Amino acid sequence: MSLNKYFKTEGPWSDAKVELLCSDTGSWRSERPVVDEEKCILCGLCAIYCPIQIVKEQTDCFEADLTFCKGCGICAQECPAKAITMVSEGEFK
Amino acid sequence: MNSKTESNFKVMTGNAAAAIGATLSRPDVVAAYPITPQTEIIEQLSKFHANGELDAEMITVEGENSAMNAVMAASLAGGRVFTATSSWGLVFMYDAVLAAAGARAPVVMVNVNRETPGIIAVSSGQQDMISTRDSGWIFLIAENCQEIIDTVITAYRLAEDYDIQVPVMVHYDGFYLSYLSEVVDVPTQENVDKFLSVLNDQPARTILTPGEQTGCGSHGILDGYVELRYKHCMAMERAKDKIDQIDKEFSNIFERSYGGQVEGYRLDDADVVLVGSGSMCGTIKTVIDDRRKKGLKVGLLKIRMYRPFPSEKLIKHLKGKKAIGVVDRSLAFGFKGGPMYTELKAFSEELEGSELISFIDGIANTDITKKNINKMIDMTCDLAEGKDVPEVTWVSYGPQQGGE
Amino acid sequence: MTEPKKKRLTKVLDHLQHEDPFSKGVAFCPGCTLELLIRFIPQVLGNDLVITGTPSCSAPVLLGQNTATWHKLSYFGTLMTGAAANATGLVRYYNRKKIDNTVVCFNGDGTASDIGFGNLSGAAERNEKFIYICYDNEGYMNTGIQKSATTPFGASTTTTQVGSKLRGKNLRRTNLALQMAMHKIPYAATATLSDLDDLAKKLKKAKEMKNRGFCFLHVFAPCPTGWGLAPNMTIEACRRAVKTNYFPLWEAEDGQIAFTKTTKKPKPVSTYTELIKKFSHLTEKEQEILQSDIDYEYCLLQGLSNIVGTCQLPD
Repeated sequence: MSLNKYFKTEGPWSDAKVELLCSDTGSWRSERPVVDEEKCILCGLCAIYCPIQIVKEQTDCFEADLTFCKGCGICAQECPAKAITMVSEGEFK
Repeated sequence: MNSKTESNFKVMTGNAAAAIGATLSRPDVVAAYPITPQTEIIEQLSKFHANGELDAEMITVEGENSAMNAVMAASLAGGRVFTATSSWGLVFMYDAVLAAAGARAPVVMVNVNRETPGIIAVSSGQQDMISTRDSGWIFLIAENCQEIIDTVITAYRLAEDYDIQVPVMVHYDGFYLSYLSEVVDVPTQENVDKFLSVLNDQPARTILTPGEQTGCGSHGILDGYVELRYKHCMAMERAKDKIDQIDKEFSNIFERSYGGQVEGYRLDDADVVLVGSGSMCGTIKTVIDDRRKKGLKVGLLKIRMYRPFPSEKLIKHLKGKKAIGVVDRSLAFGFKGGPMYTELKAFSEELEGSELISFIDGIANTDITKKNINKMIDMTCDLAEGKDVPEVTWVSYGPQQGGE
Repeated sequence: MTEPKKKRLTKVLDHLQHEDPFSKGVAFCPGCTLELLIRFIPQVLGNDLVITGTPSCSAPVLLGQNTATWHKLSYFGTLMTGAAANATGLVRYYNRKKIDNTVVCFNGDGTASDIGFGNLSGAAERNEKFIYICYDNEGYMNTGIQKSATTPFGASTTTTQVGSKLRGKNLRRTNLALQMAMHKIPYAATATLSDLDDLAKKLKKAKEMKNRGFCFLHVFAPCPTGWGLAPNMTIEACRRAVKTNYFPLWEAEDGQIAFTKTTKKPKPVSTYTELIKKFSHLTEKEQEILQSDIDYEYCLLQGLSNIVGTCQLPD
């Protein structure tokens, strides 16, 4: 049995340079944020309040990268211009 | 002697010896919290620190739990560390003791043996060591003040060895050694540096550094978890040969040897043997000399490295002896006999006919006197002659337990 | 062709100078304020932090799995009992070796106010040079919502349940931030996730002041899963906590307490508790008790903020 199959070290050391993990949290959500570009006032509040920090500035509005969005709805709730609506995932299948 | 021309004899207590041994080893971080009978160690270290003789970070922690946590973290960041404790302090820090062993932090700690009873008592005994024997630490036990200073220095050489990386606890009897003054040949700083410099030539262990993206305390998952536990056990096994090798390195520089895992005293031709550890061995050796003069072939096997358990050496030296009395300064609750007796008894078959009996003495503030030892030797001789002898004797207690 | 839109970017974005070192797909509940906090801190302070973590809601993300990990920070994972002592050992060694460091001891309220309080107090007494951040979700969330010392009066948790004889926690919470401010440390502050500009400023101040000694940050972090709070309302819950003085925002620099946000007409606590299921059983009388506890803590802070004095020692 090889002693160094998992750990090269004696103790419980991890190294991000070796492997950075990622879960498919995008599959958790039951609804997703949809942005009305016209209503967006480019304030960036959705970007700062998103717990995953996946909302980024695009050309004319802020938008979430849906790969990891869990559908919490904070962006929609916090938007002062009510530009974001949470829409059921069922609409997108 | 450091060498015939370099002797540096001083009179000091066991605690002072421990403090000086630690100071000579040049620790980076020292954590200090007082508990009887260890308090003088940290007082001495504080004095050295205030005078500039100890160049280290002294952390006067608010409890022993913090002492072990602080030195464990500093050790994993790459530092050489030291702390000391006893009985209740040891068990108060026990979660961090286990964490340090699991994280494979090369911490060195002195534990001044003291009882851990339910009643309020400040007394000698090895129960604190026995309560923590499965922690995954290497345990070394010292017999006298000279051995204390030597063992503390050896502990660093062992713990920080790249092949080992297991924390080491140095035990010695509270009250009998902590406060006892003896003549000690203090190693020179130059020789200690030379002895420990071997570690500089070894590969560097993994340490926690800002910006390196590494972390310690990862969850072990499935087989990775088992792998870490297995590695720890294997490292403990490697410590047996390693301490023997280190003992040779030590004697080359300091001209003193302790035999590595175990030390035999007038053992080779002995028919009847006592097995013991710690300060009692000094008294046992004196009694053995007396009995030898009267013609009895009796010897002592001193256990110096208690964890890992030196079973191979014990079997090698004890095989074929007519009778063996194991002296325990502690109790193994749930077993009739003492802890070291119970552990040695597991190897009865390999001992090829040697009979074993258990002596429990020196607990609960009783002394292991020459009279007690003579009694133990007599009873072991009776065993060798095939007479009926109780398996377990509480030597200082009532007649039912074999005392008077 | 329409003109490009005028940007009205929040100034909080200016604080986010560094990359988010955490993987995007990590196991925090949707709407978790702890997730926002843990990503916010390194974006403000930098990715060369050394962060210590304990068994808690942050543990599954902060600590790795075998050799793999969920983020790029240096970390040390260990037990709750010794968190501040671990950070002490690290920072003492780094400073001795002149290794540039920012050690962040990152714990929940369970560690900070209960089991790890002894060594937190000890580290503060010794004025150790690191930042201790307590995220307060008012209970032990990772083990299934049990009560801690910062759980407020009346709250329903699994160890303070609502039944025919007892009605939730019948003890008042402790004020952890005020206790730490009394340790004569250079910096103690409260912050929350609705006021991110305030939080960023406090983080930066802590990073600077930790070179003089111990810095303590108490961050109010609502838990949607544990409190029965809708995931999209967690930021709003922070906001209402501030507006009702349930969680006032203040800082103590060298012992001098000052509010960083004042609410001229605080709303009643019920406007906060109405969002949260763990308070839904409270009678009017019980609300009054909670209100009086909040009022007492606030007037204590107010009184202290009127006292002018510094605990900073002369050179």
